Amino acid sequence: MLTRTNNADKELKVVGTRPVRPDGEAKVTGQARYGADYSAPGMLWAKILRSPHAHARIRAIDASAALALPGVKAVLTGADFKEQPFEYVGPERVAVNYWHMTRNVMAREKVLYEGHAVAAVAAISPATAEAALQLIKVDYEVLPHVIDVDAAMRPDAPLLFDDMITRGIEPAPAKPSNISKRVEFRLGDVEAGFAAADAVVEMSFKTAPVHQGYIEPHSCLARIGADGQGELWSASQGHFVVRAYTAKLLGMEIGDLLVHPAEIGGGFGGKTVVYVEPVAAALSKKTGHPVKIMMSREDVFKATGPTSGASMTVKIGVTRDGKIVAGQGLFKFQAGAFPGSPVMNACMCAFAPYDIANVNTIGYDVVSNRPKSAAYRAPGSPISAFAVESVLDILATRIGMDPLQLRLKNAARAGTPTAYGPRHAHDGYAETIQALQLHPAYKAPLGKNQGRGVASGFWFNGGGESAANVHVNEDGGVVIATGSMDIGGSRASMAMMAAETLGVPYDKVRSIVADTGSVGYNHVTGGSRVTFATGMAVVDACNKVIDDLRGRAALIWDVDVAGVVWEDGHAQPASAAVGDFKPLSLAAIAAKRGVTGGPIVAEAAVNAGGMAPGFATQFCDVEVDPETGAVKILRFVAAQDVGRAIHPSYVEGQIQGGVVQGIGWALNEEYIYNQAGRLSNAGFLDYRIPVASDLPNIDVVMVEVPNPNHPFGVKGAGEVNIVPVMAAIANAIQQATGRRLTELPMSPPKVLAAIDAGA
Amino acid sequence: MAPAAPARVVLTTGFSQRYTGGVKEFSIEAANLRGILKAMDARFPGLGEILEEETSIAIDGEIHELLYSQVIRPGCEVFFIPRIEGG
Repeated sequence: MLTRTNNADKELKVVGTRPVRPDGEAKVTGQARYGADYSAPGMLWAKILRSPHAHARIRAIDASAALALPGVKAVLTGADFKEQPFEYVGPERVAVNYWHMTRNVMAREKVLYEGHAVAAVAAISPATAEAALQLIKVDYEVLPHVIDVDAAMRPDAPLLFDDMITRGIEPAPAKPSNISKRVEFRLGDVEAGFAAADAVVEMSFKTAPVHQGYIEPHSCLARIGADGQGELWSASQGHFVVRAYTAKLLGMEIGDLLVHPAEIGGGFGGKTVVYVEPVAAALSKKTGHPVKIMMSREDVFKATGPTSGASMTVKIGVTRDGKIVAGQGLFKFQAGAFPGSPVMNACMCAFAPYDIANVNTIGYDVVSNRPKSAAYRAPGSPISAFAVESVLDILATRIGMDPLQLRLKNAARAGTPTAYGPRHAHDGYAETIQALQLHPAYKAPLGKNQGRGVASGFWFNGGGESAANVHVNEDGGVVIATGSMDIGGSRASMAMMAAETLGVPYDKVRSIVADTGSVGYNHVTGGSRVTFATGMAVVDACNKVIDDLRGRAALIWDVDVAGVVWEDGHAQPASAAVGDFKPLSLAAIAAKRGVTGGPIVAEAAVNAGGMAPGFATQFCDVEVDPETGAVKILRFVAAQDVGRAIHPSYVEGQIQGGVVQGIGWALNEEYIYNQAGRLSNAGFLDYRIPVASDLPNIDVVMVEVPNPNHPFGVKGAGEVNIVPVMAAIANAIQQATGRRLTELPMSPPKVLAAIDAGA
Repeated sequence: MAPAAPARVVLTTGFSQRYTGGVKEFSIEAANLRGILKAMDARFPGLGEILEEETSIAIDGEIHELLYSQVIRPGCEVFFIPRIEGG
């Protein structure tokens, strides 16, 4: 591990250290409580009946036999949920359409993918619920289906929605199609740019949809009382969003639902939406009992969001001295059964790392008969980067320039214009390239059948709404409560920022994730936003506590508050003129809390702005077996600008995790559908994610170019690390074999076919 | 005293095609973002609400969530961009 920091200003005592993680002991001893670990007196078990068809009309559902089975308490269908208006609500990229959401939770007129929920049963045991599912008769009219994005865009493709008119095209098309939306971004004049180029490469690529691969299946426990008040325990990336979606689908007031955050076993974007929570809540409302639902792994694969697969064409022009003069991209993304792929992000991120005067990106959001896509680590950006970074590699070879040097020559810096509009405001990209140029392994010799590939990536990183409470305990200890689910170490980082701000040791601060009734609204843990935004709320709340503590010290000393400063965890006289007072610790002031005003608490809320983007540059060495096409990763070096690492071990873990997921996306992961549109590999045995024995050590290079808009310089660190991986591996395979792979996954049969085609 | 330089308010191509007849740039004098939104809404009724719901802003490149109280410096660029969410 290597850290290069540009931050040499304030000396910090806690931030940047590696204390023991607060969630570790409970997790390794099996005592942490995940979504599936909750139960309640009188609890029922629910199971969900799922469609065996990729596309079919539901003519009728007969649940009479299931309801007659002893032990069955209720059967639920789509008709039990109130109808929702058809409207897109919220920001365009992630606009929510509750008409779609309620149909994804439980089908109504049609099933749109194998695994689509059709009905649910609540019964006294899992076995009874399972038996009841077999008794529900669904009369389907099977319809033609379409899986592939290019096939779904054809004029003669089976339509998922008879009235879907493409948005973003003027005038609007007269006929419906599976194309939900078109987006476009432009900068300069791409035709003039290509005319000025000495070398132009245009190439088409395909990527497979891949699942987020979280180990914990979706699970929840819901209890809705006769008084309309309810509670929900679930593992998600945002219990406030779970509350909002569930309440909306059930027609409840938000305040009538209290959501408790369970420990989460991975999310990676896939747990920012609801699947089972509204079903459990509706069944609880119907039966008057608490209801628990646990998805199986097969359910997870068949019914929860993978990221999009894509078909795309990218064209880039460079001059012979290595200046990129034009970039163009056409990105067609599978949204799954309902609109909402991250194609807009793909268009915005594709060329964002580069200073290019002429850029044009066009994206299509396309529905097809597979599960609705959900966010996955820098959603959209890794897909477009696979194409862009592959084409850049070809151009570097063509003009005889080192691939890192080509990227450095064109690196975006503060002030560089972007295709999506504003100029970049932060540096950080060039520093990641320079870090790898200096890395000793970059010049290491390669053996036979080995190759080295380079790629870079960009991600926005998020800010937004967060709230935090700080309580000073009677003994001077501190509790930090936020509403941000901890999926990457945020309890530790919040405690560390609080300890640093208050000037107290890390082990005096306990950090918790509070339920929706105990802290203000926090947006989801996603977009690499929590350490930045929720961290700002924590620091703000701590500063309020400090102001309060100064005031209380002033009361104790009977001096003006202006004469009290807070230093090293103690109230101290601002000068000798204030008086000769012994510094007061947190514990000393807490002991006087009653006479100085009661409990010492503060809360703070932010809608955090000034977030800085993440840049990553990586290289990897691979060895390709020419007999089998198997690719072995020999070395992977990942540089990333993290702003400032609050807890470096967690940040390194984020980077290593992103790289590992990218390796799976690059080499193995894909959904295999049969002719009937049914998924053939809905399990980890056949859907192969990387395991430790597949991997080398991921060598992390943390580059720290601090964000001046955050008290400790934080930039998001959780997502951009996955962006370059697939292209870096493709570029390494090309060097090892002389063959350019343009379709993911680059599994042994495809690599072998490419080798054989060139033999 | 010379009047403060107005801010240069910019929309993406997509937003301008959809909401402002293709006009991308506007010159608006305002002390804070609420003033910018009010001025845009006065020119294109309903646009203020749409921008609030769908966009983030970049002030001279720095990306912020929409806050009425966001200070608008004289002469700065205020770019409304689609709001991004990650995973």
